[in-house]
Amino acid sequence: MFADIMKYKELLYFLVHKEVRIRYRNSIFGFLWTLLEPLGLMAIYALVFGEILNKNLVKAYPLFILMGLIPWTFFNNTLRRGTKALSGNVSLIKKVYFPREIFPITILLANLVNFVPAFILVFVIAMFTPGLHLQWYQLIYLPGALLLQCLFTLACTFLVSVLNVYYRDVEFIVNLMLRAWMYLCPIIYPVSLLGASKSDLVREFAWLYFLNPMAVIISMYHGIFYPKEAVTKIPPSMIIFVIILSLLLLVFSWWIFKRLNRRVGEVI
Amino acid sequence: MDAIVVENLTKHFRKAYDKTLKGFFISVAKRESRYEEFVALNNVSFSVKKGESYAIIGKNGAGKSTLFKVLSGIISPDSGEVQMNGKVAPLIELGAGLSRDLTGAENIRLNCAIFGLSKARIRDVYDSIVEFSELEDFIDTPVKFYSSGMKSRLGFAIAIHVDAEIILIDEVLAVGDKDFKKKCYTKMEELRNEGKTLVVVSHSLKPLRRICDRALLLEKGEVKDIGSIDEILDKYESEKPKKKKTKGA
Repeated sequence: MFADIMKYKELLYFLVHKEVRIRYRNSIFGFLWTLLEPLGLMAIYALVFGEILNKNLVKAYPLFILMGLIPWTFFNNTLRRGTKALSGNVSLIKKVYFPREIFPITILLANLVNFVPAFILVFVIAMFTPGLHLQWYQLIYLPGALLLQCLFTLACTFLVSVLNVYYRDVEFIVNLMLRAWMYLCPIIYPVSLLGASKSDLVREFAWLYFLNPMAVIISMYHGIFYPKEAVTKIPPSMIIFVIILSLLLLVFSWWIFKRLNRRVGEVI
Repeated sequence: MDAIVVENLTKHFRKAYDKTLKGFFISVAKRESRYEEFVALNNVSFSVKKGESYAIIGKNGAGKSTLFKVLSGIISPDSGEVQMNGKVAPLIELGAGLSRDLTGAENIRLNCAIFGLSKARIRDVYDSIVEFSELEDFIDTPVKFYSSGMKSRLGFAIAIHVDAEIILIDEVLAVGDKDFKKKCYTKMEELRNEGKTLVVVSHSLKPLRRICDRALLLEKGEVKDIGSIDEILDKYESEKPKKKKTKGA
């Protein structure tokens, strides 16, 4: 698969470039929106949960939100745009043939290009925030987190992009699911809250929480500055499970993509 | 060696596929099949030699375009085999593969990249594509503002410059003006002399005699005849008036 795609290196580069540029075309702030979007969301959550509900659950709460929100935005935007990766490129798909895996991969790479500078910026801000200390040893999880997130995101994108060609319902389902999914990740609240919860229900089902790969991935990012929320607090068996799950999902969704791809040219 | 080998190619389409949930439940309740099969190509076999120019003719709905899409890999056959020996540049309808929001220049780069050209090679052919398409003044304009003639010029210019060994041309020349058509036909003859394989679908039969060596006549998804271009075209043309009479009566 990868040998096939490497042949289209030039095309991939062109499409990623186009995707990044077109998204912010006709906007004044342009590329800055990659940062403004999560910043805006952060402001909303910090205001609602930090001030109105008065739940400053962790130190430097706005920054905590941002540390989780930026990786989440990467996942969220890739999936949202990835749903239309095939159905939005009808003119190309109907007229010429090249490996269609390129479309979801393009979306992933374009969002990665947006994610990296935003994350670095937040990282630098966190370095200089009083009360936060960089946990050096947690940095070893960063490459793993990035790789795992890319694999898992790609797997999901393969699946939704090809399904959306057959059933446009997928678009609506994905949007709704992403909403719920965000609240199932440690973004506006820390993981440590689950174990200490007063609710029996939450404590009883806390172990289920880490079946969600995104929860584990976001914990890996959190650990860099928030040792109490680190991935090392999660049972190792859960982490292994999530890695296996992501790999299996990738194989499965790639297989589905290959199968459904056969009729894409006529259905689209 | 043959450039294109097609053996027992069959393609069905599904039509009247009611995608709503209501339609789904109704058809499940009635226990009927949810779609109707429609045979677009039935047991089509032929081969095109390397360096040959091949015409595919037939009436509307004969399956020409479907055959073309199968040859270019856009849709896959239900059964049978398609072998393409060499790089294929398909030109399907007008402005094939052009992205509306990109400028002419960007589209040239995009399409060259789709056909696997390297960055250096793209730079080499870029100027000759612009020159051939005669679009020097509009090359930085988004393609959505192009006229259909301009789009087909750009599409044709790209297709002949991507180093393909097999070039598929489907009706694209119907819109260009007289001079450009002439230029294209001259270019096609040139390509043929260079040893490239051409497959042409066209309604304007006259130029085909000049360019093509052999022809295939499709009727209702089946191969009716294969032979030299003159033989097939004579047969096809003599058939036409008869049809008209039956329609009138």
